[in-house]
Amino acid sequence: MRWTVLRRFAISCFVVLLALPATARTRPHYGGTLRVEIEGEPWQRPSGLARRMVLDGLTVMHADGTLRPALAVDWKSENDNHRWQFRLRPGVHFHDGSPLTSTSVVASLNAVCGTTCPWTAIHAVGSSVVFTGDSPMPNLPELLAADEYLIALTVTSDGKTPEGVLGTGPFQVEGFMNGVLTLTANDSSWQGRPFADVVELHVHRSIRDQWLDLSVGRADLVEVPAEQLRQAQQQRLTVVASPPLTLLALSVTDSGALSNPNLRAAITLAVDRGALFNVIFQKQGEVTASLLPSSLTGYSFLFPTERDLNKAHVLRGGLTPPPLTLGTEGGPAMQLAAQRIALNLREAGFTVQVVTAAGGQHTDLLLRKLPLESNQPQSALESMLRGVGLATPVLEETSAGLFRIEREFLEAHTLIPLLYLPRGYAVGGRVRDLRLGPDGTPQLVAASLEDAP
Amino acid sequence: MKLIWLVAVVATVLTGLTASAAPAPSQWEQPSGALAEQIAGILGPGQARLTIRNLSTVPTDEVPAIRRLLEQDLKARGVLASGAESANTVRVTLSENLRERLWVAEVVEGNETRVAMVHVEPGTAQQSQPKSALALRKQVVITTNEAVLAALEIAGGLVTVQPEEIVIYGHAAEGWREQKRVGIGQKKPLARDPRAVIFLTPDSNGFEAFVADMACAGSLEHTSPPADWTVLCRESDDPWTIVQPPVTQTGSATQGTATQMDVSVTPMKAFYNSARNYFTGVVNFSLGADLPPFYSAAQIIRTASSAPLLIGGIDGKIQILEGSALKPVAGTRDWGSDFAAFHSECGAGMQIVVSGSGEAAGDSLRAYELPAQEAFPASASLAMDGTVTALWTAPDGSSVFAAVRGASDQYEVDRVTALCN
Repeated sequence: MRWTVLRRFAISCFVVLLALPATARTRPHYGGTLRVEIEGEPWQRPSGLARRMVLDGLTVMHADGTLRPALAVDWKSENDNHRWQFRLRPGVHFHDGSPLTSTSVVASLNAVCGTTCPWTAIHAVGSSVVFTGDSPMPNLPELLAADEYLIALTVTSDGKTPEGVLGTGPFQVEGFMNGVLTLTANDSSWQGRPFADVVELHVHRSIRDQWLDLSVGRADLVEVPAEQLRQAQQQRLTVVASPPLTLLALSVTDSGALSNPNLRAAITLAVDRGALFNVIFQKQGEVTASLLPSSLTGYSFLFPTERDLNKAHVLRGGLTPPPLTLGTEGGPAMQLAAQRIALNLREAGFTVQVVTAAGGQHTDLLLRKLPLESNQPQSALESMLRGVGLATPVLEETSAGLFRIEREFLEAHTLIPLLYLPRGYAVGGRVRDLRLGPDGTPQLVAASLEDAP
Repeated sequence: MKLIWLVAVVATVLTGLTASAAPAPSQWEQPSGALAEQIAGILGPGQARLTIRNLSTVPTDEVPAIRRLLEQDLKARGVLASGAESANTVRVTLSENLRERLWVAEVVEGNETRVAMVHVEPGTAQQSQPKSALALRKQVVITTNEAVLAALEIAGGLVTVQPEEIVIYGHAAEGWREQKRVGIGQKKPLARDPRAVIFLTPDSNGFEAFVADMACAGSLEHTSPPADWTVLCRESDDPWTIVQPPVTQTGSATQGTATQMDVSVTPMKAFYNSARNYFTGVVNFSLGADLPPFYSAAQIIRTASSAPLLIGGIDGKIQILEGSALKPVAGTRDWGSDFAAFHSECGAGMQIVVSGSGEAAGDSLRAYELPAQEAFPASASLAMDGTVTALWTAPDGSSVFAAVRGASDQYEVDRVTALCN
């Protein structure tokens, strides 16, 4: 009984529904304009809100952890997972009317794929796309569901580069003006027309302005950073939050002074995760020292999270490394977290200067957020490792095997997991049936408006 | 003699209670043995201090039993669980993730810690059903990975309407076996939240199905045995059947026939907005009042002379058409937009089964009676294993069918009947 309750609760965390009991709840209404405000860029990778509304992948990860067909209807592997063939869904068109072909898929994937691609080569074969790899690719279908492999048209039928983003998704780009990206419903979407006619994405809005707009009815959906979830609830906003899905981690360079593994281990032991969790992030999410969250593996408790300043001093061994730079991505909370970490490290005998990591500037330490790209442990781990530049397929399937891979990677102390954080949003009273996807982004495609005509 | 009976009854009850409350030992035997095997493989014969902590949903009162099992299994493999003085420690953690339980043993020998893990199948849960004067019961008709918009039991088979296909199943020893699959052949993409209806033909030897912009007719051809289904689909903007007189499966005449209350039910058709998910409000004959756009409609047979039409509007309002006047229905605050009427031997003889919400995971159904303009609950809520996406009355009017989408997008069709308590 309790197990079932837990499982249902966990699943329902992905599927947060908003009930509006003023009258009887009805089937979703079609029509209306959904106004969404965000702090960042709508197309940023990963998890930019516009991406999954406009673009589809070959596969898609369902909230329950199962992989579903999307632009590919089926797939099969050969040669011990060295070759995969994905058969494309027939009758799908890009927003400009041009058909989805295997050639267009290959061109799209080649355009986005850098050196960390899971495959070695990709070919169009009839209505299929064939991936080949020097190494086995057992997790390829799951990896292709990731945000970075969404399919966009790269060349139009007349051989030109599209002016905007052209995908096959349920919304299409109408235009961008005065900080508002306007998306309109794609009546021909293979997934079915979305309920809302229009989604307006107001970009670069501060959290304060977003909440103000929500309170006066100028916005229907706004962001709530993890560290402000409690505050949003106290202000009686209707908040939907994902389970912890974003890994806050400290990247540590293994060059220069920090090429000494003992110094990196000392840094690992010096960081006070509890302070970050309790003070900066207001007890949201969970403290972690593992790459994957406990909900996915059940073994994360094997990685100790406690601070051990004495041992950190011992490992440093009296060495006084040159001043280190600590960069950070993101907003005020990340800056505060970086300051706190710098303080921790100073207590362990390091000299650390916090800088803003802009334009790819190299820093010795980098506080960053890594998304959990899959809710299957094997592909999630591979995706996470690829995210930090380790392009190695994860062939292990057992928990013991995955634990071993994590442990071996973390023993190098080049990445220090700190916290798993949830993603949160506040929604207005007009919105109903809003769900959060497996990556914690709101699935606006399935949302509808209560007062739609 | 009476005393013996009493003791026997009490013993039986106590045995039953104990059996239901106690952990099922066999559930833990396999993982305990497997973990002990791994621990013994790491540690070899000897002594070790054994600690167990529970980070999982395993009930706390089952942990001692697990410990005993583990100690026995370790002992059988030469590892004796000893006191704190032992140099070796085995730290067992009962953990879990979203999919399964995981038992982890950290085997500490000096400064070295090695790890063993076993997976444990999750247990099953039983849910109790509160008693009520009228109880709804569900019986799963079919479970499938494909979306089911409507279904019909016919001629010993089952026909399901899926977004793009009609699938016909026949009976087999293991349940339903797919016999035929016919593409509907839509020219346009379906709307999100697609809907369909399927009804028996009056001779009950065929069916008529409607899905957005298409109509399909199926008939069972007996000309060359074995009988085979012929299904023809065509583009259509014809109105959909929304109310049909009860039809018996034996093929007796039905059009305009009486129900058990001897009230004639008039077949009714309504135009469906195929780009959306509702009926426009336009029906195939004059009702004396304009209907609003609606999601659901049902005819409520009250007396021999009264069979008003119940409408669930897209604005969430439930109204009843009596005479030529549309009147609001009270007591429908918790109604979803799907309902279907059926007759039973309970209460007033006719109930309305209503979904709890339009798009909610963990939906429920509840029976109501509508003696006048206020709906009264007639049953407790019946929890469904997902979102109710469609509700319709069985051809004979004695039960209701529900299409349910589960959390993992698996669909099932349930037959819902009433039991009188």
